[in-house]
Amino acid sequence: MTQPRVGIVVVSHSRPLAEAAVALAGQMVGGAAPPLEVAAGTADGGLGTDAVAVAEALTGVAARLPADDAGAGVLVLMDLGSAVLSGELALELAGELPVPVRLSAAPLVEGLVAAVVQAGTGAGLDEVAAEAGGGLAAKQGQLGDAGMASDAGEPGEAAAGAGDKEPVVARVTVVNPHGLHARPTATLVELARGFDAAVRLDGADARSFMAVASLGAGQGRELEVTGTGAQAAEAVEAVVSLVASGFGEGTGEERAGDAGEDRVESRAEGTTEVPDEVGDEGRDGQVPQVRTPVPASATTRAGGLPAAPGIGIGPAWRFSDDLPPLPDEAAADPEGEAAALRSALDGVRESVRADARAVSAGGGGAAAVFEAHGLLLDDPALLDPALDAVWRGAPAAAAWWASVDTAAARLEGLADPYLRARAVDVRSVGRQVLRRLLGGSRAPRRAGVLLADDVAPDDVARLDPAQVTAILTAAGSATSHAAILARAAGIPMVVGAGSAVMRVAEGTVVALDGGTGEVEVDPAADRLAGWERRAGAVRAGREAVRARAHEPAVTRDGTTVLVEANVRSTADAARARDEGADGVGLLRTELLFLDRTTAPTEDEQLAEYAAVAGAMAGRRVTVRTLDIGGDKPVPYVPDLAEANPFLGVRGLRLALARRELLDPQLRAVARAAADHPLAVMVPMVTTVDEVRAAREALDAAVAAVGLGAPPPGLEFGIMVEVPAAALRAAHLAPLVDFLSIGTNDLTQYVLAAERGNAGVAVLADGLDPAVLRLVAEVCEAAVPHGVRVAVCGELAADSAAVPLLLGLGVRELSVGAGSVAGVKDAVRGVDLAAAAPLARDALGLASATEVRALVADH
Amino acid sequence: MNEATVTTAVLGAWLHRFAAAVARHKQQLTDLDSAIGDADHGTNMDRGMAAVAAAVGDAPSGPAGPLLKGAGMTLVSTVGGASGPLYGTFFLRAAGAVGDAEVLDATGLGRALRAGLAGVQARGKAEPGDKTMVDALLPALDAYDEAVAAGEGAAGAARAAARAAAAGRDATTALVARKGRASYLGERSAGHTDPGAASTVLLLEALADALAEEPADDPAGVP
Repeated sequence: MTQPRVGIVVVSHSRPLAEAAVALAGQMVGGAAPPLEVAAGTADGGLGTDAVAVAEALTGVAARLPADDAGAGVLVLMDLGSAVLSGELALELAGELPVPVRLSAAPLVEGLVAAVVQAGTGAGLDEVAAEAGGGLAAKQGQLGDAGMASDAGEPGEAAAGAGDKEPVVARVTVVNPHGLHARPTATLVELARGFDAAVRLDGADARSFMAVASLGAGQGRELEVTGTGAQAAEAVEAVVSLVASGFGEGTGEERAGDAGEDRVESRAEGTTEVPDEVGDEGRDGQVPQVRTPVPASATTRAGGLPAAPGIGIGPAWRFSDDLPPLPDEAAADPEGEAAALRSALDGVRESVRADARAVSAGGGGAAAVFEAHGLLLDDPALLDPALDAVWRGAPAAAAWWASVDTAAARLEGLADPYLRARAVDVRSVGRQVLRRLLGGSRAPRRAGVLLADDVAPDDVARLDPAQVTAILTAAGSATSHAAILARAAGIPMVVGAGSAVMRVAEGTVVALDGGTGEVEVDPAADRLAGWERRAGAVRAGREAVRARAHEPAVTRDGTTVLVEANVRSTADAARARDEGADGVGLLRTELLFLDRTTAPTEDEQLAEYAAVAGAMAGRRVTVRTLDIGGDKPVPYVPDLAEANPFLGVRGLRLALARRELLDPQLRAVARAAADHPLAVMVPMVTTVDEVRAAREALDAAVAAVGLGAPPPGLEFGIMVEVPAAALRAAHLAPLVDFLSIGTNDLTQYVLAAERGNAGVAVLADGLDPAVLRLVAEVCEAAVPHGVRVAVCGELAADSAAVPLLLGLGVRELSVGAGSVAGVKDAVRGVDLAAAAPLARDALGLASATEVRALVADH
Repeated sequence: MNEATVTTAVLGAWLHRFAAAVARHKQQLTDLDSAIGDADHGTNMDRGMAAVAAAVGDAPSGPAGPLLKGAGMTLVSTVGGASGPLYGTFFLRAAGAVGDAEVLDATGLGRALRAGLAGVQARGKAEPGDKTMVDALLPALDAYDEAVAAGEGAAGAARAAARAAAAGRDATTALVARKGRASYLGERSAGHTDPGAASTVLLLEALADALAEEPADDPAGVP
């Protein structure tokens, strides 16, 4: 048997990888296995390489080889990056060795197998190294890549292909009517960024929205497209075919208005009616809609998306001038400032993405505004100057705004009106980032119609509904949290009306219908009178409903249904009481937990729960225990981040795993329950064991606060959001006082469709018979046990859903405070004797559309 | 001005300050690396420099060479990533240049830093413009040498070096990476600051602070 003359050292970031590669090579050895050592991973078992360990392995292997044999030596095989550096450094560290050492450029697995086999034959170092170096040949031969195989010795040459040196050049003519305006530019930039190539259009960096937009390329302009880099050819081809395709806009007259981007037409153009892009049927059925025909006239008319019902009339005002003062003293910590800027950009990027998804569900072009905004956030033309200034010591806010201002001013100087309008986008994005950087409110202390590029939920929350008659936004979405808050506050809102909103002068009278999306700027006197009449009619209808809001909601057949409110603060609760809520069906406690560095104390929570209960003046308050997960990380719960937080450790799952969060909350509720009628409700329940554990935790909390028995008013219930919980409601019902169906999440889980995702939003309809069947299941399981069934979720505020839910057996509905009066009104119209068979019929239908049609026909 | 002021104790303070700065900026370094690399630069350097700081102890004395060599060896065996061999080599080569001297003047310190840079370049085979730590280190040492030639002491020269390193780091943002893990991203690496250049700035700022007569207001940098 031949004695090996060559030893091998394997250097890898990963010990398991190295050992597996060695095992693989070991299978091939017919003769004697060569001396081999592995230097892989860090000492603590992580990924990494250690030159000292490599040097020790070299010394160890070298010592086992015949020193007097001229062919003897050590071959080192490495994976990538630091493995190579550590291998080289190890040669220095090891000093003089009895045999030569050679570092192999071969890929680790192929090289190792070849080297081990060759060394096993007793070959010398030169032969083994050559065999390892050719280790790729078999694979390349198989894949037909012979050209590279012959160049294997000089990978640098092979990699530098033609595309690397010679730019790929092509020419293309812009064919779509408005040229490279915002949306096509956004599409193009996004495309260009996907390639490993630097693409330029007439010299402008195709990865920069600002640069491409600044070309001002209108219809008929011929552009030179050049690309360099590994994927230059593919990138240029893709860009050329996108431009040549007209961006799907066509080339003719059919899109004269580019609807969605600028839906507010000017009076001079004499536009009459812009069609409502979103049909009324099937959309936001929960909002009562009042439609009085308005005669057409040559005035300024517009359309947006209806987001919160009601008629709003008043002078326009906007936030944009209320920017907080920019800091101007030099910042001490550029790293910190840069990090703050990046984190503000990340935050805005996240919210812009969510809005874009939600908005494109409406099918209009408003989503393009967001896509353009998203691109601006990554635009080097905005970011680089800002970061440069930050590294030179400027505060992030000042640096960012200076960069935004410069970029916007550059756009404003262009001839093309479309591109000039993009300055609004730049400033809009700039402001959003600035607000995140500086925090603070926009000081919304003014009356009339708020105009904004977009509003954040906290902006709406700060508005005074007595002063602000309506909200009109350029972008935004009817399903955003801001819209939900506007509905709750009773402020009419139209969103997505296009950036022309930002050109309406402050003080101009604006009238809008938040139920239809209709908007009129500066209406003539006769039309203004028409709007006033509509507003009066809506008000009168509402007054009539509100007048009875404080009375119980009793169906025609005499069954009382509790209509409660979903609240998240004491202020919400006070409003809910004023709106006639019979209680709080869902107190969201997350506000107490978010945006802080430590969890709230038991006493803090006690004060909050007692204050909410006090505001409800003796009506029951249902406290939902903390419902957070990977989508709402908090600093004091480490490692919340998950790939799919909605299917991860959230709600009760998290609470049971982190009793240090749950127990103080339960103790606070138990203490508050001594003085107020309270209920505890746990979210995200899946199993019976979870409910038992939660119940035990509550009992322990009651005992811990020194109450011998649970306070008489203290109830315990669960949320039914997980389909499995609905299906085993019969096992859960005996353990609880009530079951509250969270239809928002239940709908998403049942239909596997996220509400915020435009692509599937149409699927996520709570009136889908599949969702209703689960509601039926829960009711059938609960009623025999005397367990109440509630619904808390947007579905409960949907007037089409009310008769179905009651018909199935639901007896409590919890909705936004602003919807209480309307839902009570809907309840009063229900006759259970008719609703029960109607609901049964609905269960047998095939789609939400059929269900809505059934209810409408009824 | 070229007095022999750079004692082993000052070099020890440098290492401590660098360790503290890396700890403070750990997340930022890792964030930079996550954009274009394998998201471990901050963690790796922190692990390495924490080990170095522990090994250096409170009041190092005697010849400077063994201090720097110990730092280099510790980095080589604890960092794990490419910055281990690179920073390790930097300190090992600097240690070689310092030899048995117990105190250095500005020129001697410059020689040591230059030897470190040469080691880094030999190890990483990086040229200026490849979007690596060399893009911060090379202009820094040029600025250092210029300042010394203009009559500055070690402290002033180190401050100039830190400033030049920061400028070099910022300039890496626009570059396309040609070395290291980031080079796999090709053109997409442009627009991101190189993490190695960023930590190099910390290295030189720590040096300038340690050399400053009045230590900078940086409590975390004092061991």
